Order: sequence, then C-alpha cells, then structure tokens
Amino acid sequence: MSLLELNGITKFFGKLAALEEIDLKVDEGEVLGIVGPNGSGKTTLINIISGYYRPTRGTIFFNGKKISGLRPDQIADRGIVRTFQSNVLFEGATVLESMLVGSFLQYKTKDWQSFFETKAYKDDHERVVGRVIELLKTFDIFNDIFLPATGLSHGYQRMLGITMALIANPKVLLLDEPTTGMNHEEAMFVVENIKKISEQGITVLVIEHNMKVILNIATRVVVLNFANKIADGKPEEVMNKQEVIEAYLGTETI
Amino acid sequence: MMTYIDYKTLLPRTVIGVLIGLFVIIPVFTTSVITLSILISSGIWAIAVMGFVLILRTGQFSMGQAAFMALGGYASAILTVNLRMPFWPSFLLAGVISGIIALIIGLVVLRVGGIYFSIITLAFGEIVRILAQYMEGITRGVRGIIPPPPPTISLAGLEINFAAGNPVPYYYFMVLLVAIASLVFWQIGRSRLGGTFASLALNQVLAEHQGIHLMKYRVIAFTVAGVFTGFAGAYYTNFLSIITPLMFGLWQSIQIMMMSIVGGVSSIVGGALIGATVLYTLGRYLSLLPIYNIQYLLFGAIVVLVLLFLPKGTGLVDLWGKFWRKVFREPEEYEMPEETEMAVE
Ligand SMILES: Nc1ncnc2c1ncn2[C@@H]1O[C@H](COP(=O)(O)OP(=O)(O)OP(=O)(O)O)[C@@H](O)[C@H]1O
Ligand SMILES: [Mg+2]
Repeated sequence: MSLLELNGITKFFGKLAALEEIDLKVDEGEVLGIVGPNGSGKTTLINIISGYYRPTRGTIFFNGKKISGLRPDQIADRGIVRTFQSNVLFEGATVLESMLVGSFLQYKTKDWQSFFETKAYKDDHERVVGRVIELLKTFDIFNDIFLPATGLSHGYQRMLGITMALIANPKVLLLDEPTTGMNHEEAMFVVENIKKISEQGITVLVIEHNMKVILNIATRVVVLNFANKIADGKPEEVMNKQEVIEAYLGTETI
Repeated sequence: MMTYIDYKTLLPRTVIGVLIGLFVIIPVFTTSVITLSILISSGIWAIAVMGFVLILRTGQFSMGQAAFMALGGYASAILTVNLRMPFWPSFLLAGVISGIIALIIGLVVLRVGGIYFSIITLAFGEIVRILAQYMEGITRGVRGIIPPPPPTISLAGLEINFAAGNPVPYYYFMVLLVAIASLVFWQIGRSRLGGTFASLALNQVLAEHQGIHLMKYRVIAFTVAGVFTGFAGAYYTNFLSIITPLMFGLWQSIQIMMMSIVGGVSSIVGGALIGATVLYTLGRYLSLLPIYNIQYLLFGAIVVLVLLFLPKGTGLVDLWGKFWRKVFREPEEYEMPEETEMAVE
C-alpha cells in the first residue's frame, strides 16, 4: 500500500480542465519531483491534495484512509503540509510570532491548558520554542526572529514558508517551487535542506522548474502537460522521453 | 508594528495591582451618585467592548454586539419578573443564554465571514430590538420590564444592600465583574488562543493550512464575547432597574465599535477600559448640553480625529504605552537590532 494514492483526480474550473484523470502513487520516503510547463496543473495538484480545492472527480487516500473532501486543517492534522508558490505569510507578524502561531499542530496540549498556563502547557511551550529555534537556525533565519516576516528578503521569506510547514510536523511535505526567485547559492542551500528533510523520513513532493534541482534531489519524477500526466519514472529516463522534450520545447518556442 | 498578539502585556503587574486598588477605594472618597454611576456604566460598556475586540481579533467585524446586551438584560429581567426566579441564578443564566444564542448564531453566520458577517450581525441586532418591541406579552414592549433590585447580601456581618439610590454595592460588583472579564480576555489574548485568533485575521488561508480550524475558533471568540456581553447587559439592566428595546439598539452597537476605536485594539483589555470610560463619560456630559443629540455628532468627530492621528487601530491605549515607555525608559517591544538587516546577506 502506498502512503499517498490519487485515483482519477479531475479538476475543472468552469469548462477548463486543470487536471484530468490523474492517477498517482507515492511511497514513503520518496522525493517526488513534479514538473511541467506553466499552467499544466502542478499547483492545482497541490491545492487538491492539501484540501484547498475539492476535486471535481476522483479520490485521494492517505495511509489507506480517504482524505479527499476534508478541510485543509484536517489534512494538515493528518500529516500533509504544504508551502505556497507565492510568499504567503502572516501579514504584520514577526518571524518568531509567525512560527509560534504556525506551531498549532506542534503543540500537544489543549487550548484550556494554555489558558490556565498549566505545568504541562509550560513544558510543552518550552519544547515548541526549542523546536522553533532549532528549525530557524537550520534555515539560517534565527538572527531575524524579531523582524516582520514580510521584511525578510524574498529568498528568506520562502525559507520561512518551508520552516512553517515543517513546524506543523508533516509526514508528507508538499513544496510548490521552493527555489523560485532565489539566487544560486540560496537555491543550493534549500536543496541541501530538502535532502536533510528527506533523510529525516519525511516524504517530499516538490514542484520545480529548475531541472538541476530536480535531478539533484528527486528519486522519481512526474511530468504534467495540459492537465495530463505524460510521464512518471526515474529522473534521467523521464527527462529523455520524447513527449517530455516536446512538451518543454513546445512552451519554449512560444 | 501592529500584530494583535499580546505576548507581553503593556502594563507591569504592579501597576495593574495599584490600578485595581485605586478603583476599590474610590467609594471611600466619593459616594456621589453621578461619579459612581458613570464609572459603573463605563465598566459595563468596557466588557461589551472587550467582546467586540475579541471577535475583531479573528478578523470579523460584528455590528450587532448590543443585541447580546439586550439578550442578557431581557433574559435576567424575564427570569426574575415573569418567572419569579431569584436574582443570582437568573443573572448567571442570562450570561449562559446569551452565550448559547451567540453559539447558534455563530455556527450559522460565521460560515460566511467578512462583510456578510457584518451585515448579518447588524440585521440580527435589529431583529432582536424589533422582537423586544413587539413581543409585548413577554417583554412589555416599549414600556419595558422593571426588575426588582437584587436581594440584600449578608457577608461576614456586612449588609450589602442593593436598594435603589445606593450605587456603592453596584459599584463594587461592577469592579468584580470587570476584573473577572478583564482577567479572562487578557489571559485569552496572551495565551496560545490569542495567537490562534490573530492568525485568522492575519492570513486565513495560511492559518487553515497550518492546521487551524477556522470555524471552530471564530465560533469560540464569538461565543465568549456573547457570554460576557450578556452578563454586561444583565448587570446594566439591574443597575438601571429597567430594560427597554431602545436601550440596546443599533446606536449602542455603533457606540461599542467607536469605544474600541478610541481606546485602541492593540490590547483587548486596556483599550476597552480606556475607550469605554472616555466615550461614556463624554457622552454623559454632552447629553446635558441643550442641543438635542449633540453626542452623536461629537462622537463621530472624535472617532475621525482618533483615526486621523492614531491610525491602524492604535487608539489611546498605545499613546499611554508610549508615554509609559518614555517615562520609565522601557525599550520598545521587539525593537529590531541594528545589524539584523545585514545578517540576511
Ligand atoms: N482558481 C482558479 N480559477 C480558474 N482557473 C484556475 C484557477 N487555478 C488555476 N487555474 C487554471 O488552471 C490551470 C493550471 O494552473 P496551475 O496553477 O495548476 O498551473 P501550474 O502548473 O502550477 O503553473 P505554473 O508553473 O505557472 O505555476 C491554468 O490554466 C490556470 O489558469
Ligand atoms: Mg504553479
């Protein structure tokens, strides 16, 4: 049984099909690269897995249980957490505040325990703060914890996005173009960290335009083109497939 | 920087202690009915404002909060007068009833949120007022219900007599009620719950994807506000010994919003206490002027002035905070160190 299983996922926006009959199985520990030209449906796929959109048709199973139709918070609670293609942050909050608020699923204690500041909550909070600091250090944002999150440079806003997803304790991490707009150094830093995340046993689905990044980290690649899955397999094999080359050449000549 | 997350309170505990002490000894210096009744009313409105600001923290703008005062007020008056229930249980039930209605309304209305929520709460406020006016069999319509004063309490040899014309016991009970409400709202603001509420206003989509159940937390805030606003309405009704449909109408809902703007929303409790006291006191004296309804006009003007000079929800409470830091040289909260900008490179 696969960890994550998509069966016949179809999504229509009005008459436009953003995804057509997508079947996809993801096993635990994979780093699955999702590539494809602009508008091919990659972000829609993440939006559907994370519960932001409901599929028009089709079902999704996670750990053998149906998750399609659940709300985003329920899906995050089951262990599937995502980042966004654009920088989506808590407007006006500092880096630390963002992380603490984003730690909702990291806390083990209940709201009432926090309200009464019980011993259990204080211990829990201390643990969460420790984890937050550890993650912020990993992503090199620790010096900026009192800075408004929106005041970080673009690259670091994206790293904060990944950090926020990680503090929610994912079993599956969905990354939507984690390195866009980053310089080479920043992108390589993110790549190294995605590898570390994977080594910790987190399954990763990553949308990426940068082929170097994909070949560097993906254990398997899925190619989308015009809402359809046109290839699925080992990175080098997939990249040499005729349809894939055509799909990419097709868009580049426009 | 406004984030609406009270991780740190504006006032040190000692100052809060001194302030509470001051309020407790006021009746030793003056038993003036006017002074005490202004303080009592201000405190009661402050509770309603705290509720409004708590809902605002979740990103929702309720335009019908006075209706929950009406619900609490009518509940306690009907229970004591029509159903002959003793005062204290009926008072407690008033808060519970108001809270249950808030819960039910919240479960229906908070699905939409935003401007729709505002409009529906406005309509809800008007419906409550109209029902109070026309269900004459229960509410006695515009004539209103006149609840009897709470019974005299004997406490450790002390007679606490709530008879009409003596505001002192009402004053002390107001201080107790405001203290409890302040403690609850303050604690919510600085606990994880406060951050969770704030996240819904700061970025709803992100909050949901971090695992926060939008509806649940919106409804919790709305219900907590409903409970305390209900208590405020019940207590006001008993303090004034009357409730009529016009006491808690649209203007009163607007007044609650105006109090929150003038006080500021960066601190739930501090802003509410300052805003309610300033505006209520002003309104009370303005209504003495021979120009009919001048307070409506001047309230509007004050709100505009506050919005012009203290924008983005930083009302008088922030002004006080700045003054406090100047005097005692406390550093600004979360001041960013000089070198952080460089650290990014
Ligand atoms: N909310 C929406 N309403 C209508 N159409 C949408 C919506 N979201 C996506 N689409 C359309 O669905 C198609 C797929 O979009 P999607 O964002 O999934 O593409 P993508 O592969 O992520 O592209 P990119 O590489 O540019 O990010 C596009 O044609 C897009 O215009
Ligand atoms: Mg996309």
